[in-house]
Amino acid sequence: MTSIDSTTKRAINDALETALPEIENPDWDAALTSGVGLDSVQIMNLVMEIEDNLDLSVPVDVLAEVKTLNELALRLDALKGATES
Amino acid sequence: MSLFDKFKPLVEARASLGETGPAPIATPIERVLSATRGMIDDREVVLAGTNNYLGLTFHPEVIAAGREALESLGTGTTGSRMANGSYAGHRALEGDLAAAFGWPGAIVFSTGYQANLGTLSGLAGSDDYLLVDSDSHASIYDGCRLSSAQTIRFRHNDPDNLDRRLERLGDDAKRALVVVEGLYSMLGDQPPLAEFVEVKNRHGAWLLVDEAHSFGVFGEHGLGLTEQEGLLHEVDFIVGTFSKSLAGIGGFCVSPHPELELLRLASRPYIFTASPSPTMMASTRKALELVVNGQDLRARLHDNIQRLYRGAAALGLTMGSTEPGPVAAIILPDRPTAIAYWHGLLDAGVYANLMIPPATPAGTNLLRISLSAAHTPDDIDRIVDALNLLRAAA
Repeated sequence: MTSIDSTTKRAINDALETALPEIENPDWDAALTSGVGLDSVQIMNLVMEIEDNLDLSVPVDVLAEVKTLNELALRLDALKGATES
Repeated sequence: MSLFDKFKPLVEARASLGETGPAPIATPIERVLSATRGMIDDREVVLAGTNNYLGLTFHPEVIAAGREALESLGTGTTGSRMANGSYAGHRALEGDLAAAFGWPGAIVFSTGYQANLGTLSGLAGSDDYLLVDSDSHASIYDGCRLSSAQTIRFRHNDPDNLDRRLERLGDDAKRALVVVEGLYSMLGDQPPLAEFVEVKNRHGAWLLVDEAHSFGVFGEHGLGLTEQEGLLHEVDFIVGTFSKSLAGIGGFCVSPHPELELLRLASRPYIFTASPSPTMMASTRKALELVVNGQDLRARLHDNIQRLYRGAAALGLTMGSTEPGPVAAIILPDRPTAIAYWHGLLDAGVYANLMIPPATPAGTNLLRISLSAAHTPDDIDRIVDALNLLRAAA
């Protein structure tokens, strides 16, 4: 399995704490909606927090493609790579 | 396994609104009696949730204009603007809108929703960027989805956050269209437009302001927040709707750029739908005339706005916006309280809107009151009195 960059992981954890303090230890392989129990607005707010943490812009269509926190982390790593290259 | 399984959460959410009495969502209004009165559950109520900001839906001149067009031109065009659906009335309304702004052109769409869909998807192609406020209306998000541009959100009403996102785009910011609204329909708040203008100018980006809820309400001629702020010369596109202050149905985009005309050739929501009815074009032309010359209507509306906001402040209610406007959103602590307030207001003879997540920003539960120039001071007092009783009972 592809490993997730530690900066990305930290940014997601920090964003979870800030945007969704009520969600404790979410399963990173669970579906964000049916598994973690987030609605579409909560997911968008979470990503906005991550964007600030990573100083990265995440296109809105990425949100439609990712189902879990792990998938989101991998997409963020890819976006970071694209920005840095 | 059924196609309908995915709707289960929505069915559960609807059930959580309660099953007794009139439904707070999609409330059946049995009959509308005037701009501010209707029948719900066999009772006459004050309509305070209708976006009828200038109260023109029953204006005799607006009705007469529509009636005359109905009788002389028929019920519908039965075709697209690109085929048989471009009547003199459509072009005349576009001319009136352009003239009101002092710009070279305007395009009319069949609904306000389609105005955003058609403008955003038509303007922004695969090499372009759409930068949208995170609290944008669904029609803006859907317009972004229909476009092949990359869509990036920035924090609500936060020019610094937009600045950072444009900065990351570098030279590509010159192909970015920034989208904000003149008045946000959920909380009733307004953008810091001058600051957004400064940011987009610094990066060479473009700016579209959706004045759906602010058109008719702000500015000497009712053209919206952009006019009120003296920034008409700084924006590239203004989108609006006919279904609020203009008292009909339809939408428009108007621009200082003559190239706006090209959108007619490329905008699918403009091309692949029937054009608005001749009745709607005629009644909207008359309504537009009344809006542009409607300083007295706006004065009455703003008196009502001040009266309601003063009353709400005296009750200690938390409002969605500190700047009074035609949308008065009362933030309530949770969904059951919001539902109780909605039913309580209706029991007191006032119809307002219940707004709950995920339709609302930041998980807020709202009771949204829309004010009208046609409300009387007594109507406003009745709303405030009802809120007072509800607050005392809570």
